[in-house]
Amino acid sequence: MNIYQPQLALVTDAIDETPDTRTLRLEFQDEAVRESFAFKAGQFGEYSVFGAGESTFCIASPPTREGYIECSFKAVGKVTTALREVNVGDTVGFRGPYGNSFPVDDWKGKDVVFVAGGIGLAPVRCVIWNVLDRRDEFGDVTIVYGARSVADLVYKRELEDWGSRADVKMVTTVDPGGETKDWTGEVGYVTPVVEATAPKAQNAVAVLCGPPIVVKLTLPVLDKLGFADDAIFTTLENRMKCGLGKCGRCNIGPVYVCKDGPVFTAAQMKALPAEF
Amino acid sequence: MTDGTDSGAAAPRRYFISEADLRGLAADLLGAGTEVIAPVSVDACQSPSALATAACLRPGVAPVDVEYKAIGEAAELDLGRDLPVLSLKQFFLPDHEALCRWHQRGLEVTVEEVPTTFAPRVVLAAKPCDSAALAVVDEVMNWDYKDELWNGRREASTIFNLACPVIDESCFCTAVGSAPDDVKGADGLLTPIEGGYLVEATTDKGRALVAAHAQRFAAAEDPATAALVRQAVDERAAARSRVAANLEIDAESVRDWIATHFEDPLLASLAIRCNGCGACSSVCPTCHCFDIVDEEEGVGRGTRRRCWDTCQAPTFTLHASGHNPRDDQHVRYRQRINHKFSIYPLKFGEVLCTGCGRCTRVCHAGQDLVEILAEIDIAARRPGEAAAVAGTSASGDVEAAS
Repeated sequence: MNIYQPQLALVTDAIDETPDTRTLRLEFQDEAVRESFAFKAGQFGEYSVFGAGESTFCIASPPTREGYIECSFKAVGKVTTALREVNVGDTVGFRGPYGNSFPVDDWKGKDVVFVAGGIGLAPVRCVIWNVLDRRDEFGDVTIVYGARSVADLVYKRELEDWGSRADVKMVTTVDPGGETKDWTGEVGYVTPVVEATAPKAQNAVAVLCGPPIVVKLTLPVLDKLGFADDAIFTTLENRMKCGLGKCGRCNIGPVYVCKDGPVFTAAQMKALPAEF
Repeated sequence: MTDGTDSGAAAPRRYFISEADLRGLAADLLGAGTEVIAPVSVDACQSPSALATAACLRPGVAPVDVEYKAIGEAAELDLGRDLPVLSLKQFFLPDHEALCRWHQRGLEVTVEEVPTTFAPRVVLAAKPCDSAALAVVDEVMNWDYKDELWNGRREASTIFNLACPVIDESCFCTAVGSAPDDVKGADGLLTPIEGGYLVEATTDKGRALVAAHAQRFAAAEDPATAALVRQAVDERAAARSRVAANLEIDAESVRDWIATHFEDPLLASLAIRCNGCGACSSVCPTCHCFDIVDEEEGVGRGTRRRCWDTCQAPTFTLHASGHNPRDDQHVRYRQRINHKFSIYPLKFGEVLCTGCGRCTRVCHAGQDLVEILAEIDIAARRPGEAAAVAGTSASGDVEAAS
């Protein structure tokens, strides 16, 4: 089997997170693959609908939940629109896992702060569950999540779950104007909400993912709060085709996002040329 | 894989082959059912890759192009040493090829593998810049994940180069580490001498080809042929000098200058004429970037293909969100230069260019890579400019965060 040939996976669950964002749960058809498949938090794959093509997303479920993988995506292009039509019982293709991962094991004993905007919660969700499934290995866990509107919040049931846990500090916010009458969370952009939440930076790491504007504006705030550049982790996205370092598409300067990333520290990101 | 190196053997053994025997060798191979790829003269106005010119419209004029083709008979072999329009790349990374096929019946999907082993084949009279390009691209095709489709075709191929006389002022192979008599990526070299060719087999595969067709080759190590061999070697040295006169650069300084001058206005100004057609990528022997697309062939079946792509197209990096990290032509041209002369050398120790000059000849806007490299070389030679990149941020050594 050549490196570009996908594994077949059965869709066993499909959840509409928002009007345009869907989560699919996939189980590998081949029993040997199902048994042996392993990945690390932050790795990604190429998901395909036969006839529409392949698209790149992170694995949104945590490595601590075995037997399936999940992906969440917004229907914006040809493949994601086709994936949006996929339902329980359908078969899709998957290649992966590819890329590096979040060094979760290095964070043992530290506080972990998660900051995510919009669909950027998908890769962060994988790390959140990875940490929560091993909760006693880490210090305080803080999650700040924001979306444009209440309707645009993804993983709503999990947001409630995390919010109700005594061992998680959960702050959810929506952009001004995006709130509903019964909204009890914050109203405001993610960046000022992070600043107001003011998680302590001492012996802590931050995981940040969201639209480029959220990442760009939140980095200085984390810096102000005292987070060192090598204690801030993010996952970058660029258009990819192969995911294997061959097709030449995802460079940011000298870096191949698919092979050298997708996980980078703020220190590594700041060293990259302005090509993102 | 063919990497142009000897496996334990000393100096390459030298043979002589007459032109008649070279064609006879091709005929023997074809007779045995082996595919033979070689330069062939074609009607330039009919060739699919023809750069159709006004000449084609004039009555009585029949411009000729040279193309690498799988030949049907030995007489087709064109030994005129002109440069084929397209490089050998198409025989190793076809312009489109199947990666797998799918079939769906009801909800059940099956995926059919494509073969990754290929029948043995022989390439005769390859341009040294074209075979060297294969060895350069071997690096990325084997970067952790092995591309079996590429490797399968490499392993199946025995390549004999024909020493190049240097085509024109657009050639610059010696500036990027190759040479008109390079055997990198090949299994042997033919050099014209009186009455035929000097043959040097440089790999086990090359020696095996000679051994299997020994009746076509004569030993060329006796005193009688020594003068002819010396003449051939002198002519190769003369060709190297000719091409070196076209361009001389310090490739390492150029590499480091580009890595540390990403935003330098010079890089933008060097792209001024480029309008992003991407012809340079198609004719380039080292450009290997590809797209992967699904092609439906009726309801419930189809083929997943990879196709040549180009970093010069705006859609190459366009995100689904509408954001495009390379949203202007000069940054796409910078990527071409950066990838070839800085990113790839830093990552793999090889320049992603073998100096064939096709990009310059094909460019209808007049982008001239010889001029462009000379300009960057001048910038890189200014005192304090060619800062060593080791240890700096742009070195490409971003370590995995895990």
